[in-house]
Amino acid sequence: MERAVPPAVPLGQMEVFQALQRLHMTIFSQSVSPCGKFLAAGNNYGQIAIFSLSAALSSEAKEESKKPIVTFQAHDGPVYSMVSTDRHLLSAGDGEVKAWLWAEILKKGCKELWRRQPPYRTSLEVPEINALLLVPKENSLILAGGDCQLHTMDLETGTFTRALRGHTDYIHCLALRERSPEVLSGGEDGAVRLWDLRTAREVQTIEVYKHEECSRPHNGRWIGCLATDSDWMVCGGGPALTLWHLRSSTPTTVFPMRAPQKHVTFYQDLILSAGQGRCVNQWQLSGELKAQVPGSSPGLLSLSLNQQPAAPECKVLTAAGNSCRVDVFTNLGYRAFSLSF
Amino acid sequence: MEKPDEVIRKRLLIDGDGAGDDRRINLLVKSFIKWCNSGSQEEGYSQYQRMLSTLSQCEFSMGKTLLVYDMNLREMENYEKIYKEIECSIAGAHEKIAECKKQILQAKRIRKNRQEYDALAKVIQHHPDRHETLKELEALGKELEHLSHIKESVEDKLELRRKQFHVLLSTIHELQQTLENDEKLSEVEEAQETSMETDPKP
Repeated sequence: MERAVPPAVPLGQMEVFQALQRLHMTIFSQSVSPCGKFLAAGNNYGQIAIFSLSAALSSEAKEESKKPIVTFQAHDGPVYSMVSTDRHLLSAGDGEVKAWLWAEILKKGCKELWRRQPPYRTSLEVPEINALLLVPKENSLILAGGDCQLHTMDLETGTFTRALRGHTDYIHCLALRERSPEVLSGGEDGAVRLWDLRTAREVQTIEVYKHEECSRPHNGRWIGCLATDSDWMVCGGGPALTLWHLRSSTPTTVFPMRAPQKHVTFYQDLILSAGQGRCVNQWQLSGELKAQVPGSSPGLLSLSLNQQPAAPECKVLTAAGNSCRVDVFTNLGYRAFSLSF
Repeated sequence: MEKPDEVIRKRLLIDGDGAGDDRRINLLVKSFIKWCNSGSQEEGYSQYQRMLSTLSQCEFSMGKTLLVYDMNLREMENYEKIYKEIECSIAGAHEKIAECKKQILQAKRIRKNRQEYDALAKVIQHHPDRHETLKELEALGKELEHLSHIKESVEDKLELRRKQFHVLLSTIHELQQTLENDEKLSEVEEAQETSMETDPKP
């Protein structure tokens, strides 16, 4: 526990429970508000907390600014993934995707706008949704998770338009390739599949574990994280973190990181990755490790870069994982402070 | 109603600076009155001289104050000018910072492109040179042609031999057939002759 409790005050049951909850909390997902000033974080108890970045970054920030301005129970199960459109916050976890209005949440009115469940083949067991992806050109949302399919949902009408099948095991992560509207999905079966959205077909499959340079059989073949930059893709997880050239499907650089990485993203000329291990790693495309900045959680599960143009003063990197804290990095070189549930 | 306050405040302010001036003017007024009421001419003259000197002292201090006032005005102008200059240079520095930030972004993009190029180049280097592969392909193609020619000619020869053997064998077969036929015919004739010999007695 971070705060020392004065011995004179007897701890009530509620406080003990809350302290235990914070101890065992894992934050799975983060999302930045469209105005750029707020950050939503979803944890394994199904709660979503909204933090005010502008208050925490301002010069007269106090301890309370690092606490959430509002916390609400969003799902019955863990909130594995969240994305924000320009007015809504979409969160998904235990088989359903729910939408919340940002304006309402900020006024502490936490009622869901709508909830939808993709058409699953079996109605007995409801598979979890591990990843959400927004496709702005089509105004649709892609969900992927435990039932090994990618479902596309039109955001205006709420109908599920396509179900892309191909994976043989559950899907961990999604990425959007902007130029040709293609979606990349990485799953437990060790393959990264590229789907063309217009024809709804699998265009390319890269079986990462079959390539000797990056496969690590002792870790497994699962693909935990995926990021793409139109011509290039970086993926990691069981196999080593590798940079691939998509058109020729060749692995070009293997990053020498032993711990499996859970989240990776391109940023300017760097690749940022985080996973098992305290640090956020910054890599150059040539494979060199530029910097390793330690965070406060023993393992990191998600990274979020606030690049909203409306709030350039809140341009920070936030990292969260196996603890109740969200680390805020104002400059990629060091951890400025941590927000806490 | 506030006028006496103001006057007192002003006088206190002024008095703080030149405590001698106000007293000097009061003294001057008193000595003027004394001089008007004075008797002898020597005293009057010395008092007159003293008054003149006090007057000149007052004028001197007034001149000093005026000069100081002028100086302050000019200092103020100078500071205004420097302030404006600094503002301009701050704005210029802001612009330069923005420019430099853009340049940094551009340089980062260039670096990224260069690294992507390097990564691809490394992969390409692993593969053998295209000229060599083309040459090898040509040589192999020629060999393949040559070999297929040989194969064709061998096959033709084989066909020819096969046909010749076929002709030979069929001729032999025909000859055999003819010989057998002849034998059969001669056997039948012999049998007919023997049956005619054993059958002549009616």
